[in-house]
Amino acid sequence: MSRDWKNLFPSRRMIFLTSGGVVFLGLTARLAELQLFRQQEFETKAREVRIKLEPAPPHRGTIYDRNGRELASSKRNFYVTLRPEVASIARDKQTRQAEIGDVIERIGKLLRLSDAKKRSLLQDATTPPAHRDVLVADDLTWEEFAQINVMAPELNGISAEVGELRSYPLQAAFYHTIGYVQKANEADISRMVDAELAAAGETLDSPEGKKRAAAVRRLYKHPAMRVGKQGIEAYGEMALKGEPGNERLLQNATGRVIDRLPSEDLAGKPGADVVLSIDAELQAIAIRRFGIEAGSAVMIDIATGEVVCMMSTPSPDPNLFVSGIASGPYKALREDERNPLYHKAYDGVYPPGSTFKMVVAAAALETGAMKPEDQVSCPGKAWYYTRFYNCWRPEGHGVVNLHTGLQKSCDCYFYRAAQRTGIEEIAKVAKRFGLGHRYELGITGGKSGVVPNNEWKLTNPRINEKWYDGDTISAGIGQGYVTATPFELAVMVARIAGGPQMPDPHMIVGGIRVPDNTITPMGEFKPGVLEAVRAGMFAVTSEGGGTAVRSGELDPEGKLPAPYTNARMAGKSGSAQVRVITAAERDSRGRAIANEKLPWKLRDHALFVAFAPAENPRYAVSVIVEHGGSGSSVAAPIARDLLAEALRIDPGAKKAFVPRPRDVAAAESGKRPT
Amino acid sequence: MMIRKDTLLYKITQLHWFLLLTIIAMAMFGSLILFSAGSSAHDLETGLLKIDARYAMDHIFRFTIMLGVALFVALLPLRLWASLAYPGYALGVVLLFGVEVAGNIVNGSQRWLTIGPLTLQPSELMKIAVPLAVARYYHQVFASGRTSLWIHIVALIMVLIPVGFVLKQPDLGTALMILGAGCSVIFFAGISLRIVGGILVLLVALTPVVYFFGLHDYQRERIHTMWDPAADPLGAGYQLQQGMIAIGSGGLAGKGFMEGAQKELEYIPEQHTDFIFTIVAEEFGFAGSMVMLAAWAIAIVQGMAIAGSSRSSFGALAASGFVSTLLLYVGINIGMVIGLLPVVGIPLPLISYGGTAIVTVMVGFGLLMAVHLNRANDMTLRGLL
Repeated sequence: MSRDWKNLFPSRRMIFLTSGGVVFLGLTARLAELQLFRQQEFETKAREVRIKLEPAPPHRGTIYDRNGRELASSKRNFYVTLRPEVASIARDKQTRQAEIGDVIERIGKLLRLSDAKKRSLLQDATTPPAHRDVLVADDLTWEEFAQINVMAPELNGISAEVGELRSYPLQAAFYHTIGYVQKANEADISRMVDAELAAAGETLDSPEGKKRAAAVRRLYKHPAMRVGKQGIEAYGEMALKGEPGNERLLQNATGRVIDRLPSEDLAGKPGADVVLSIDAELQAIAIRRFGIEAGSAVMIDIATGEVVCMMSTPSPDPNLFVSGIASGPYKALREDERNPLYHKAYDGVYPPGSTFKMVVAAAALETGAMKPEDQVSCPGKAWYYTRFYNCWRPEGHGVVNLHTGLQKSCDCYFYRAAQRTGIEEIAKVAKRFGLGHRYELGITGGKSGVVPNNEWKLTNPRINEKWYDGDTISAGIGQGYVTATPFELAVMVARIAGGPQMPDPHMIVGGIRVPDNTITPMGEFKPGVLEAVRAGMFAVTSEGGGTAVRSGELDPEGKLPAPYTNARMAGKSGSAQVRVITAAERDSRGRAIANEKLPWKLRDHALFVAFAPAENPRYAVSVIVEHGGSGSSVAAPIARDLLAEALRIDPGAKKAFVPRPRDVAAAESGKRPT
Repeated sequence: MMIRKDTLLYKITQLHWFLLLTIIAMAMFGSLILFSAGSSAHDLETGLLKIDARYAMDHIFRFTIMLGVALFVALLPLRLWASLAYPGYALGVVLLFGVEVAGNIVNGSQRWLTIGPLTLQPSELMKIAVPLAVARYYHQVFASGRTSLWIHIVALIMVLIPVGFVLKQPDLGTALMILGAGCSVIFFAGISLRIVGGILVLLVALTPVVYFFGLHDYQRERIHTMWDPAADPLGAGYQLQQGMIAIGSGGLAGKGFMEGAQKELEYIPEQHTDFIFTIVAEEFGFAGSMVMLAAWAIAIVQGMAIAGSSRSSFGALAASGFVSTLLLYVGINIGMVIGLLPVVGIPLPLISYGGTAIVTVMVGFGLLMAVHLNRANDMTLRGLL
């Protein structure tokens, strides 16, 4: 057998090699069929009907005011995209550019796109990768959309799509607080990638992290996806945006979406709805009341700590930004001397001027440096250490005490009070009143004013020197190093009116949590301190000789219901100098040049802080009119009108709106194909 | 300088260097393809060059380790491997039984056995152990000079026992591979061609019966899918269809290294493992596919030459069995990717990413080279286990 087998084996090997050859020949034949004879067919198929898994941007959460009015919502958006790989299949760059350029030219004529827009589109569409959708235009009218749908078969790579777009129905009223959304740029995308990775506790080193980062990038590159750029939209991006889902799209040979396949199993989760404590009606009234003035107003419900109004004016329409604002109008907004892009209430830091006198008064009483009945005489100026400090009234106020000092805003009294109290005690009370703190409200930006003391001055890198006695004198009337934001001033007056029981201020009451654990508590004052300060503020508006005595009446006709009938407000005016007044600028009687005679930019800021009703405070407000001049004649009437409206509307009487949980199907219904 | 014939260095000079270099070249080509599988010239998200060398680095690492193992296998005396053939086979059967009793279920199929820290896939071991044991059996039978049809029937039973276990897991692909390798040894051992022909006719006749009664539903579906990939555009047919689009659109010269478009869309699941050939064909075209086939043809022809040069029947049959295994691997993998065979989970050796197949194939190549080094030894039975 062994011998037989030895003879047999070569023939068996030949049979094996022959059948192996047949197998390889078969493989070769099939490969030749696929790759040589049917190449064209597969090449087309590679671009042909295929199921594309497309990330579907989730429904963005709505932002409501306290009454359930929509401040930021989603509207139906008709938009047009271009898919470069379908617009041109040429491999040669020049032909590609020409073919894609031709499609852009034709769609551009239809949509009346500007030449600059067409150029940037061509640039975008000819940069790889080619298999992605480039947004051509959005927020189209139904007519434009219908026309493109009709024309689309002749325009390779063009698709007309329906999605959602952010809309701000109240336009300019909430620009600064809510902010706006826009197409994400590279910086936004990497910011969101970092945020998502941090939230998931992953890093880019792990495969899961890489996958997540790629998914986030892909989502934010979707033509219908926007990212919050500032305000609540940016701060709450993670909660508002929701969880993206996927959609199965069936594409034909030209890349046009011919059908949407059932994708319920891939649906995402809609974003969280956010509710603000702000009353949109009050906000609108405040904006109208300011008219052409630049400034801001913040109103806080003393009983709940809820911010019921926070506006800054002038203000642009955030809807302008959603589809991208042109550089011309944007430059105009940036260069406007009234700073429309700036959140004056939250980011604006001003010298508080005489509104700081409540802090000095409370500190003097709390430490016992001054008793309420202690008298100071005011001859119009006072000598401290090395120089004279002027009172705002060159004629002087005669003899004043704490009550009349606040009422008439006598600077001499507060120079003395500050000198006796000392800056450290003043700073402590300023902090207890809520100054010197950036309040976390759930919006981007925000500043804290300066509550100066010796340590602050020594450690401030730009000053780096010890505290001089003269600094305390200036601080006594809210000048010098002291600064505050209008928001801080509103908290201050709310705390004065509400006492230690006042809840911490906040603006978001539903949807996202905005904890702020670093707020300085007010703490108990000695009996009679706050009462004396409040009585002084009441005298400002309601006793003869008060600086704002014409503005005390909130309900002259007795129309408001109880307990607001015949309510009065208590308050304090302030004027913040925006320049140093030199001796040369004062006239022979020591009076500075009147504000009306100065250019707008150089006039004082007018401030007023107030609360109402005077006896049983419910609302506290701070008003600043930039370069408005006198606080008592410009800002006080605005504060009066806002408080009167607040008492009429009484936003705090109703609990804030609670949105119904949104079901996914309802959120998806806005995105049905046409 | 003369090298003494009994040293290790002499043995190394006598290795089948041509085959060895072919293997190394193929593995390097494999890591190049795997580099491309993770990378892209124009990333879908960024449009920029994206590089991910993880697959490629892993592949090189595994190959280097297994190259060491292959040389180790080649340089030990072939008599040792002949002695280990029966114990190896017996161990394999015991382990397969163990899988049946206490295996881990992965992807709905029971293939893995965990013993302490080790995770084993005994069915993979059998791709080598079965042809080796059958070759060892014939070696003994030929030496005794007996001749009868029963000899071949005993050999067939030796093959069918492990095949039965593997089918039960169920792992149709591996079962077919073991059956093919074992039967090829029987064929090389000289079973009458008339019987071979008869069995083939019988198989063709039985095909419909097996199709309707012997297969799981999903297996039947896969066969159906092969004829009509469009019938199941979201499942296995989708994978096949997209794979064929990738291959077909490659054309004569291919789209170029890292330029494959289908992989970027992640249309082809398992593209770096079983469907790796789609990248070869898409990026290097028909020319690249032919080079790939030619390389395997060279390896197979060299393997058969080694089988023919062996003086011992064990060496000749073991070598033939392993070469058949190679042909099965390549034929089934490429055949399924290009739509000639139903989709079964068989990787393309030395190219696909993954640890198990490379172990089997490199141990096989080691044995092949051992047969080559010991081709002059006719291996008397004395002293064999």
